[in-house]
Amino acid sequence: MSAQLQRGENVLIGSLAQIGRCGLFLLRILASIPRSLRHARETVRQLWFVGAMSLTIIMTCGLFVGMVLSLQLYHVLSIFGGTSATGSVVALSVYRELGPVVTALLFAGRAGTSITAEIGLMRATDQIAAMEMMAVDPIAYVAVPRFLAGLIAMPLLSCVFCGLSIFGGHLVAVDWLGVDNGTFWSNMTANVDVWDDVVNGVIWKSLVFGAVIALIAVFQGYTTPPTSEGVAYATTRTVVASSIAILALDFVLTAFLM
Amino acid sequence: MNAAVQAQPEDRALVRIRGLTTVLNGKTVFDKLDLDIPRGKVTAIMGPSGTGKTTLLKHITGQMRGDAGEVWVDGLNVTGLSRQALFDLRERIGYLFQNSALLTDFDVFENVAFPLRQHTKLPEVLIRNIVLTKLQAVGLRGAASLMPAELSGGMARRVALARAIVFDPMLILYDEPFVGLDPIALNQVLKLIRTLNETLGITSVLVAHELEAIKQVADRVYLIANGKVVAQGDPKTIAHDGSSWTRQFFGGEADGPVPFQYPAGDYAQALGFKQGAA
Repeated sequence: MSAQLQRGENVLIGSLAQIGRCGLFLLRILASIPRSLRHARETVRQLWFVGAMSLTIIMTCGLFVGMVLSLQLYHVLSIFGGTSATGSVVALSVYRELGPVVTALLFAGRAGTSITAEIGLMRATDQIAAMEMMAVDPIAYVAVPRFLAGLIAMPLLSCVFCGLSIFGGHLVAVDWLGVDNGTFWSNMTANVDVWDDVVNGVIWKSLVFGAVIALIAVFQGYTTPPTSEGVAYATTRTVVASSIAILALDFVLTAFLM
Repeated sequence: MNAAVQAQPEDRALVRIRGLTTVLNGKTVFDKLDLDIPRGKVTAIMGPSGTGKTTLLKHITGQMRGDAGEVWVDGLNVTGLSRQALFDLRERIGYLFQNSALLTDFDVFENVAFPLRQHTKLPEVLIRNIVLTKLQAVGLRGAASLMPAELSGGMARRVALARAIVFDPMLILYDEPFVGLDPIALNQVLKLIRTLNETLGITSVLVAHELEAIKQVADRVYLIANGKVVAQGDPKTIAHDGSSWTRQFFGGEADGPVPFQYPAGDYAQALGFKQGAA
């Protein structure tokens, strides 16, 4: 029993130490942002890789999430004769929760893992050390552009996700199940508040999620042991840690922003 | 600038190591090591595998810090330098990595141009000329548009060499520069190292195992073992200096002061044989 307690204590201390190291790494990133401005092209390149290249999965998932949400809600609302509210309920669900959270989970799986694997392999093949030897700060050249790209891409991807979700919801509710088109849109515009639901629900949450995912991904890649196994574990840790962080932060942010 | 890092420009040794002690994972890699790299010469560092030759280069460039002792490069105490001062010093040092360490996102041209783009504002036409000149020197001007994944090990090493010399640094550190080179490329690289030394006065430090190549290019050789310099001198005569270290190392003998076997327990016992059994 005491051995188990000891093991649990070690795990807890190890986790707290890792969070502390991650926090210090964030400070190094923030301190290097002014120096990384001269690498703006690299930031744009990373924005393409983590943002534009994630569009396909975000758009596809957004469309299907909206469609299935609309289908489920229509059947539940039809019990109470409230199918006219389908549009507004789809929109509120997507803006307040599903949009930023599902986008963040997809982003962690698609872009977070690729950032971790890329930086991990750069470390394993001495590319990071080579930059150090060429007097190029790898934090400014490698870490900051990826961090900024994640921060910028996440809100944009969330907006695309939400737009496609509502389009999918419209397809199912109006074109398939016969909800009136005018009712669908008018109910939605009447019940969705731009500040509360779009800015607080989508933009702020996405910014925080983007920063957290990018930080975890870059940190895991940067600190991974330079071995194949090390890179594999780091990639897995990025997905697990990001997913837990997203869902926990979602609760905290919702409580604060509501 | 504090007193510990004040420049000593009159120093004849470009690199001066004093009392360097390094312990890694409980193993003493360097034990109060003293070593001088003369300015404007080609110096070879040799020694058995795992003796810390690459680690020594990392100490010289400040990638690693020892547990005790000092490393001076061009009058600057590397162990006491700030990160920015270290980066300033590294701009004057070229480093050839054992595994080339080319940036895999960039083609050969951009790999060689990378330090120029990061540290200068030279016009594109000048960058192009410098890069092509360096690539011509290593025989790979025609490979400028290839990606690192398309290069053989020897070609990658030559690209890395072109990148290391692109700034015409004061000091170049070569970590195993001859591995994977065919005889033609080897000969050209040897000539290049010698030419850089003779025409530009660049100090070179080579970590290598190929004594014949070192005889052609180096002015001085250090043999490191057991954390210390065990022999030093002219590369053409060091193999015959009569010491047990050089006899074993250059003769390739298993028996001698350097154990061939990594420290281990009893062999018979490890194989499951009982003591005294026939």
